[in-house]
Amino acid sequence: MTASPPRTLCALALCLLVAGPAVRGALSPADTPERPSAPREIIIPAGAYVPLQRSAKDAPQVPVAAFALAAEPVTNAEFLAFVTAHPAWRRSRVSALFADSSYLAHWTDDLTPGPQAPADSPVVRVSWFAARAYARSIGQRLPTTAEWELAASAGYTRTDGKNDPDFQRDLYAWLARPVPAILPTVATTRPNLHGARGLHGLVWEWVDDFNAAMVTGESRADSGLDRDLFCGAGAIGAKEMTDYAAFMRQALRSSLKANNTTTSLGFRCARDLAP
Amino acid sequence: MKPFLPVFLFAAAACAAATSPPCCAETAAAKKDECCEAMASAPFSKNSLYQADAAFTADTGAPFKLGALRGRPVVLAMFFAACGYACPLTVTDMQAIRAQLPAEVRDRASFVLVSFDVARDTTAALAAYRAQRRLDSAWTLLRGSEDSVRELAALLGVKYKQEADGAFAHSNLITILNPQGEVVHRRPGLKGGIDEAAAAVVAAK
Repeated sequence: MTASPPRTLCALALCLLVAGPAVRGALSPADTPERPSAPREIIIPAGAYVPLQRSAKDAPQVPVAAFALAAEPVTNAEFLAFVTAHPAWRRSRVSALFADSSYLAHWTDDLTPGPQAPADSPVVRVSWFAARAYARSIGQRLPTTAEWELAASAGYTRTDGKNDPDFQRDLYAWLARPVPAILPTVATTRPNLHGARGLHGLVWEWVDDFNAAMVTGESRADSGLDRDLFCGAGAIGAKEMTDYAAFMRQALRSSLKANNTTTSLGFRCARDLAP
Repeated sequence: MKPFLPVFLFAAAACAAATSPPCCAETAAAKKDECCEAMASAPFSKNSLYQADAAFTADTGAPFKLGALRGRPVVLAMFFAACGYACPLTVTDMQAIRAQLPAEVRDRASFVLVSFDVARDTTAALAAYRAQRRLDSAWTLLRGSEDSVRELAALLGVKYKQEADGAFAHSNLITILNPQGEVVHRRPGLKGGIDEAAAAVVAAK
């Protein structure tokens, strides 16, 4: 670790303070395989998100209220509990409308994740509809793009991950690697300043408004919306055109259909904080 | 023959009293009974958008499930009333599609507009839009919750995003659904494709 010890201890203590009660909740005796328990969660403080795509009329920053976010992406074990309780979402029964033919293709069968899908690895090959249904089943929702990007903008030791060299190094190393055949567990990732693991470095994640992304060109130079295909003033006018990872995420969201599943796309849940 | 008549009238009344699936417009009695009975309880096919079971509200204020459209071909677009650029063109194009339909299909096809603008497109605003564009009873104007609107857009492959001034950036798309609620044709953009869309409606009947 390159961060100074007192700062690391402080960050660790902060993590434990926030995570402690949630961890105790997650390990309560009420948890059974049939009922997915609430995920361990963290609080993302209110902040501002700089959207990659905005019109000239929009403010350069979008305020985001504080919210609760799952500390980790949903795992195969958690998703198994969900499909056990909700048979309509099992691989053999799900409607093609809601999930394409690769849905949970790496699982051994409907109710057996198997060797390709370790229990504590993030679940992938799930569609937006499936992710939403899972979130609903535990009384939560998917984070919005703004919420997810705000949470993900933090580095390991600072709120501005862009200026955290370790963080940037790990992020771009991950972007350069091919997707492993079997995904590592969430425990292998390093928590960011807020205590979130795996926002980078593990899987891409669904957001609730993924279909708000309207990138139509293939390169960062394409800035306008096609006026025939789209109505609106939106354009890629980001302050930070060097944020390649953000551009990749936006391009991915633009390319997805709601029933698509991919080997590197999972999700985590969020919820509003009580007013 | 004679005892059949009261049964026929009863069935007709029952059908009319329900959400009037249009196959109940069938004049042959046997077909009517068969149709009404089958319609009401059949599960939606695996490609039917109506599986989503989302709840909307019509401009009359009445609750509306998309599944109520089953039994007829549907021409559908998402819009918002304050849209000054593309949406008026889209509605005009839907009217053009309708004008090209042969009479018997034109009478059965349903034209549906669903608003992105959860905040401003109230039932009153939709009713005003209907009056302003002179949209008759073949048209259904719907509003929903953020969730149901986002889900419908996702099902259709429509992208949308609210901008700072309250307007919406969105895909321009007209979708044709068959009587089972399955997507059979998409007409993206604002140029051309009316003939093909009309042909798809005829084929879908």
